[in-house]
Amino acid sequence: MTAPTPASEAHPANGLDEVVHQRVRLGILTIAHEARKVEFGYLRTQLDLTAGNLSKHLSVLEAAGLVNLEKGYEGRRGRTWITLTGAGDAALAEEIGQLKQLIARVETTREDR
Amino acid sequence: MTTDSVPAGGDPRRLLADTRDLARKVRLDQRVTWVALLVLAGVTFLAIPFDVFGMKVDCVNNDPSGSCSFDRQGVLFFWPVALLIAYAIIALLYVRVARTRGVGARVMPYVITGAVLTVLFTVTWFVVRANLPDPPVSLDPTPGWVLFLDRLIAPWGVIGLALLVLAWLERNVALLVFTLAYLAVALVPVDFGWQMHSNIRTEFLPQQIINGTVLLLGGIGFAVARRRR
Repeated sequence: MTAPTPASEAHPANGLDEVVHQRVRLGILTIAHEARKVEFGYLRTQLDLTAGNLSKHLSVLEAAGLVNLEKGYEGRRGRTWITLTGAGDAALAEEIGQLKQLIARVETTREDR
Repeated sequence: MTTDSVPAGGDPRRLLADTRDLARKVRLDQRVTWVALLVLAGVTFLAIPFDVFGMKVDCVNNDPSGSCSFDRQGVLFFWPVALLIAYAIIALLYVRVARTRGVGARVMPYVITGAVLTVLFTVTWFVVRANLPDPPVSLDPTPGWVLFLDRLIAPWGVIGLALLVLAWLERNVALLVFTLAYLAVALVPVDFGWQMHSNIRTEFLPQQIINGTVLLLGGIGFAVARRRR
């Protein structure tokens, strides 16, 4: 039996949140963070996804409380706007931090060899 | 397999690079730089008749040196209101254009900075006017730093200072370079050898036309660059 690893020494990969650590969902959070609010069609174009695929990823993020979806109309055209919640903002910052730590760790390991 | 194997979901370096790339694309799509420059150019040109015809000029007929005193009342009455309206228009257009593109606008810190600087310049000018000696004392020659400060808190300098904030907000190196060039033109000032000393009312005209033209050309340049993207 081994002693539990202190949080400061834990491998950064253990800190990755599976909801956020997925290429498309990370992309959605990044765009929503930079854009303040982003329209469904813009996300679909930038991430090169089908509407159904994007909807599934948005549902996962919404269920996790990371994004808010706001449906409305502009003229006769329905538009869905996505904004990041406070939790989404924090989760994105955490993910970016973990990725940077992971890269630093890999580089340190390479130098040690 | 090593302890540092790449986690499921992709190479962290690539994920980070993709993240940065997406952020950069969003920032590009949020830029409506040409709108800000064209609105400011419009205000600069519109201000010219207010300055020329709103200037109070007192010339002493019997003074052998022919010296005159002047008060640029037009500048003081036109610019504060015009700049505040201009920043409101810029904010409105930024939000509308960004919304059409499917993103939110990144303009409010710029607009707030511009409005605050406008209020500061107005208050400073009122304070200076209230404390000017009567009759005015001739400072000949006026120290360079006084002239520089005067130009910095004047509307043309204030416009440039606020544009620095916009360049930072948009992470727009081209706008930063343009703004520094504009500030050099407005603050040094660079008049390209064009001066009009024949009439005190038109003394400031060339520099205002030059400042407005620089903003106009900048606006056109950024609009063309945007269309080519």
